[in-house]
Amino acid sequence: MSSQCTAGTCNSCHDDDHNYLKYPKGFWSWVTTVDHKRIGLLYLFTILIFFFVAGVFALLVRTELMHAGRDIMDAETYNMFFTLHGAIMIFLFIVPGIPATMGNFLLPLMIGAKDVAFPRLNLMSYYIYVLGAIMALVALIRPIGPEGLQKFLAGLGLIGPVDTGWTFYAPYSLQSGSSVIWMTGAAFVLGFSSILTGLNFVVTVHKLRAPGMSWDRLPVFVWATYATAIIQTLATPVVGITLLLLIMERAMGVGIFNPQLGGDPVLFEHFFWFYSHPVVYIMVLPAFGVVGEIIPVFSRKPIFGYRAVCYASLAIAFIGFLVWAHHMFVAGISDTSAIYFSAATFFVAVPTAVKVFNWVSTMYKGSIRFESPMLYAMGFVFLFMVAGTTGIYLATLAVDVFYHDTYFVVAHFHYTIQGGAVIGLMAALHFWFPKMSDKMYNETLARFAWVLDFVGFNLTFLPQFVLGMEGMPRRYYDYLPQFEPLHQISTVGSYVNAIGYTAALMNLLFAALFSKRKAPSNPYNSLSLEWQTQSPPLHENFKETPVVTDWTYGYGEPVEGGSH
Amino acid sequence: MFRFLPEPASEFAPNIDWINNLITDLSVFFTVAIVGAMIYFAIRYRRRDGVDHATPRILGSHTLEAIWTVVPTLVCIFIAYWGIAYYRDMRTVPADAITIDVRGQKWKWDFEYSNGKKTTSELVVPVNKPIKLVISSRDVLHSFFLPSMRVKKDAVPGQYTYLWFRPIKEGVFQAFCTEYCGKDHSAMLAKLHVVSEAEFGRWLNDRSEEALMAKLGPAERGKALFQQKGCNACHSLDGSRLVGPSLMKLVGRTEKLSDGSEQVVDENYIKESILDPNKKVVATFPPNVMPAFAGQLSDEDVDGLIAFIRAQDGSAVAAAPKAEAAVNAANMTPAQKGEHIYRDAAYACFGCHSVDGSKVVGPTFKGVYGRQEKLTDGSSVTVDDAYIKNSILNPGAQIVEGFANMMPPFQGRLNDDDIKNIIEYLKTVK
Repeated sequence: MSSQCTAGTCNSCHDDDHNYLKYPKGFWSWVTTVDHKRIGLLYLFTILIFFFVAGVFALLVRTELMHAGRDIMDAETYNMFFTLHGAIMIFLFIVPGIPATMGNFLLPLMIGAKDVAFPRLNLMSYYIYVLGAIMALVALIRPIGPEGLQKFLAGLGLIGPVDTGWTFYAPYSLQSGSSVIWMTGAAFVLGFSSILTGLNFVVTVHKLRAPGMSWDRLPVFVWATYATAIIQTLATPVVGITLLLLIMERAMGVGIFNPQLGGDPVLFEHFFWFYSHPVVYIMVLPAFGVVGEIIPVFSRKPIFGYRAVCYASLAIAFIGFLVWAHHMFVAGISDTSAIYFSAATFFVAVPTAVKVFNWVSTMYKGSIRFESPMLYAMGFVFLFMVAGTTGIYLATLAVDVFYHDTYFVVAHFHYTIQGGAVIGLMAALHFWFPKMSDKMYNETLARFAWVLDFVGFNLTFLPQFVLGMEGMPRRYYDYLPQFEPLHQISTVGSYVNAIGYTAALMNLLFAALFSKRKAPSNPYNSLSLEWQTQSPPLHENFKETPVVTDWTYGYGEPVEGGSH
Repeated sequence: MFRFLPEPASEFAPNIDWINNLITDLSVFFTVAIVGAMIYFAIRYRRRDGVDHATPRILGSHTLEAIWTVVPTLVCIFIAYWGIAYYRDMRTVPADAITIDVRGQKWKWDFEYSNGKKTTSELVVPVNKPIKLVISSRDVLHSFFLPSMRVKKDAVPGQYTYLWFRPIKEGVFQAFCTEYCGKDHSAMLAKLHVVSEAEFGRWLNDRSEEALMAKLGPAERGKALFQQKGCNACHSLDGSRLVGPSLMKLVGRTEKLSDGSEQVVDENYIKESILDPNKKVVATFPPNVMPAFAGQLSDEDVDGLIAFIRAQDGSAVAAAPKAEAAVNAANMTPAQKGEHIYRDAAYACFGCHSVDGSKVVGPTFKGVYGRQEKLTDGSSVTVDDAYIKNSILNPGAQIVEGFANMMPPFQGRLNDDDIKNIIEYLKTVK
């Protein structure tokens, strides 16, 4: 069927004692590993812990919003929880997200390499991430105990959980009586982890492709991860500098953003969004790649319009750098720049639309099966349609004036980030689970969890679009009584969603730890290179360097004009 | 389908709604078409009996791809054009606009008219006249949002921003703060009153309330505030100990603070204790009870309060307000009488118990009647007539968990009828 693996990479040469999970042995070998697959797993477990923590914070926020007025906490506690939900989800879960977990695991396998270009740097990235995560956890602490100790901690900037919103807008973040320095310091450190991972991937894709793995044979996931890596490398330093300036201003009174010291709060917004808009594509481009891998395999069809899909990733990454101030249409920027940024934003819509059309067309005349990875991929297409079309409202200048900072925006970015990036990660975990673990999960439970995820998610966030249209502002502890019914639906939806994620991830965890069912080494008959080696892969991935003779998507019977 | 925007109330609102609704219709169309195609393919081409059927190796179609690149591009250009065109209307202020200054401050909106008239949280404008709001901030970022007018603009410290609109119908409309600004962000609301031109003229030139306040001496203004804000619920004027220290002969007194240091009470300490009360708490009094008044009182207000406190030499004991519930009592319902007592400065229940669900010093009265409360001794109680009566006459007996024992007993100050009326009132607070 496949002509891409020649010698030494076929399934028959199974060498179970030498697979990456078993070799080398011992706890120390895991925490000092330079194996990209193990580092991918280390990332995976770490970020899922933070997914859980920030998810619990989200449930607390939603519970407080069940009724107008106070339910379970006061306004200050609420402000703290929505800030921590956002900051932890963004900086500790979804930015590393798919690239650091699936990207680390799959990228070298997909291009036929033994590892990433700089394995030690890769391990260092992980530990920089851990350092940043510890700093973020420190920022959650509310100091108690003797007064002397409290004064000492306050001198270190440790005052209490952050309440600024994950955006850290000045001058509020300069005045807030909370551990802003620690949380922004954490984001600063985490940025280095992201930059180094991106750099590593860029060099890996350029330098370590197996013989015959030309650019136009690369899987779309590799293209997407490559485009992501470029953004990570180029955009992250800007937010690093910005947060450092904020820390300097808080600690030493250097006047950059505070107007009382001659600074400009709008400048902070520019700096912040120059990174934080492209970062949306860091989160969601790899998910595009995942869906682009799953749909062909489950439809037995080549990805429709391969080149357009790959170049669209690069186009999105490039245009993503030129649209940041669409977050600032009402922030006091000049009308001329508002007009430019609105027009530029519309150009992101085009390559994104192309991708959606291509995914759906791939299913045309396919032979389609509906295991959980495909269900997640199809769910992704719907959720991302909603995310994309609601983005049009926000790009339209006169209309965004109304929606800016309302629940409409909250719903839009949750459709993009949760419906896009998180559902993409779930699809990837279910698809590559047999490759990573050598086990098979319970498919019935996986499908059931998918239903809960999908229904719960829409139940949570569709009402929030309506709330936004009715004018409900975001980050509100309390609200007018007319908004109550929709808030209640949304809160119930968030519980259903949480049960769905818990069920799905527990299903995978239990299968990995306890299941006796050995997965076939290529359960869905994928043609791409990572499935041509054994499961779990060898420590060095392939026995011999594979030689690639065809592209990844040779599904189906050749038809006229059908050669790649 | 999917028409949820508030009723348009400004001149350009219908235009914005038109482009908004067009986007909605196009979005629904494309989503249904694409997801519909996906579901159709999924069903039509599903794998049967667990065996793959032959599939054609279709790699793409330049024609189709050209179509679905060009069509979205054209749609986008069309929408972007109208978004920009209407935005220009929103930014081009007519020459005859009435300019009003808007100042955001944690957590209230102040408005000032060209004749010097000032209001807080209430913006009054004439119908059918262009209104220009020049927006600034005294502290952090805020954003002024009038949904019915379809306008919003950030209040940026160190910068003036503006927005304008021409209201086309009279009525009362909601204004919000939409840029997160800290603790009471969600309470930073205001009302927009759109009135007829004649009424606006009358209102604008009616300065009697301000004149009245201006005529009062600072101590009299302070006295009015002392009752309006419910300070008297916790601070006595006769030396007796309530929740907070008594204000009798306060200035010049030396207070021992909770950290052991001593503080001579002067004007600066009083001002600080009003704006940021938990910074220096007098020993033996509980911290975190008094709400901070920073942002809620102007400098003149604080001056007034200081003048009033300075005047408390003990001679005011006799002037302590007496119950006035008898006024109008004849033609009020029991619940109205109860509310009268709740709002009466002589009792100042409102100083510690909110009716909007917010937690102040004591439990909120919102939905209190019939509520299950957990008590500090671990038991539970349903709030009924007997519990309320007991809690008014002897508050220390059963304390709700999470609250401190600090309410003064009202034995002898309220009679059975008063309590019955209060209970009737509490039943109505939902």
